Amino acid sequence: MHIPDGILPAQVCAAGYAITGLATWYSLRQINRRPDPTAEIPKASLLTAAFFVASSIYIPVPPASVHLILNGLLGVMLGYFAFPAILIGLFFQALVIGHGGITTLGVNAAMMGIPAMLAYHIFQSRNTLGKVLTEPTRTGLFAFLGGTLGLGIAALIFLALIIFNIPAELDAGAERAAILALSIAHVPLALIEGLFTAMLVLFVRRVKPELLEG
Amino acid sequence: MGVASHDTYLHRESVIHRWSPRLKLVSLLVLMFAFATVRQPILIPWMLGLAAGLYLLSGLPLAFLGQRLSYPGLFILALVVLLPLTVGDTVLGQWGWLTLRQEGLEATLLIVGRFLSILTLGFILLGTTPFLTLLQAMRSLGLPTILADMTLLSYRYLFEIAAMLATMQQAMGLRGFGQGRQRWLRVNSQALQQLAMLAGNLLIRSYEQSERVYKAMRLRGYGYGVKRPKPSPADQPSPLSWGLAGGVVAAAVGLVVAEGLLRP
Repeated sequence: MHIPDGILPAQVCAAGYAITGLATWYSLRQINRRPDPTAEIPKASLLTAAFFVASSIYIPVPPASVHLILNGLLGVMLGYFAFPAILIGLFFQALVIGHGGITTLGVNAAMMGIPAMLAYHIFQSRNTLGKVLTEPTRTGLFAFLGGTLGLGIAALIFLALIIFNIPAELDAGAERAAILALSIAHVPLALIEGLFTAMLVLFVRRVKPELLEG
Repeated sequence: MGVASHDTYLHRESVIHRWSPRLKLVSLLVLMFAFATVRQPILIPWMLGLAAGLYLLSGLPLAFLGQRLSYPGLFILALVVLLPLTVGDTVLGQWGWLTLRQEGLEATLLIVGRFLSILTLGFILLGTTPFLTLLQAMRSLGLPTILADMTLLSYRYLFEIAAMLATMQQAMGLRGFGQGRQRWLRVNSQALQQLAMLAGNLLIRSYEQSERVYKAMRLRGYGYGVKRPKPSPADQPSPLSWGLAGGVVAAAVGLVVAEGLLRP
């Protein structure tokens, strides 16, 4: 779910960089407000590398398999570090394996990073909106919502960008049909991502709860 | 996603290798964005020619490009393969139910041309500049400290964590994971749970390692505001670097102007 180089016009790429610049500035400002931001850098960095590696885990759905994006999970676990983490992960992917792109780095980061920040706020709201629920249902449910919506929103942005920027000659009816079909195809993927996020967060809650404090 | 296991830098004695990293980074980025503005099919050969010329100057072997292009190339092919057959009204040829359309073909050529050119520049940048030098260049261009430190540390531990995951997956496989009968189009909830625990374990191990890394970094003075050394006169870009940067930026401006003039 990365937009490669060559697909989007330069204006959209530039707008992507502008949005990413703004989101990065906001995230760094929130990070710098913490009592000791440098103490959290090694943790965020190694988790960034671990997330990057973990996204290569394939979920078997015979006869094929799907791989996870994990942007919602990143938001849930890294908080405001999620946006820089996604930006760095995409930068590695673009440079090291040519997946994604350099001109589209801003667009891709905004597409995955903003839903990740949203996932963080959804997960944090478990203590206010989810007060009526008991543990661990509350944590599991809000992690599921974070994971599902993180991928779901990113997929919608991806589809809209692809459909609206590929040929002008494509008629409006075909565009609408394509968006609808592709959106429906992403629903099961978002649910799998949500379930995976909930299972992982519940496991971490049992084994290393301090990891969820970010 | 595959995780590469080594630096993609290739040492050669070329002008692109000697090009100041800061100027190289900025100039190639400007040219990439100029490529992204191209909409006129007549400019595709110019764009590809510029990328090929810079690649030749870099002295990198063709196999390096071929090897690196194969994976993203398949991805872009999957995206554009239907365009020449489905988009547009001008029919160029028809074979049974297959119809080749001019507008779709032009759109495909534009996307593939831009993709190949931009990616080639990216590989020139990475193939001729060690990753750490590239990061230093970005730092000197104003990359925030937190981002620079995070990139450096993530890169340092990326391959170690990838090796850790490979070992864990091998251990799971040896204990019978994935050997059972699987039903089509069904997600096995037990397998999903086990994979979630695998990923969770990977995150926990990384977290624990990060605590040890942080303590070691503190002992070496991290976070005490050590001043970075000022660049010495030897680090200043050479006239050759300025010349290359000027040439590349001029080519980028030329492409953008040509695109503006040719646009109907």
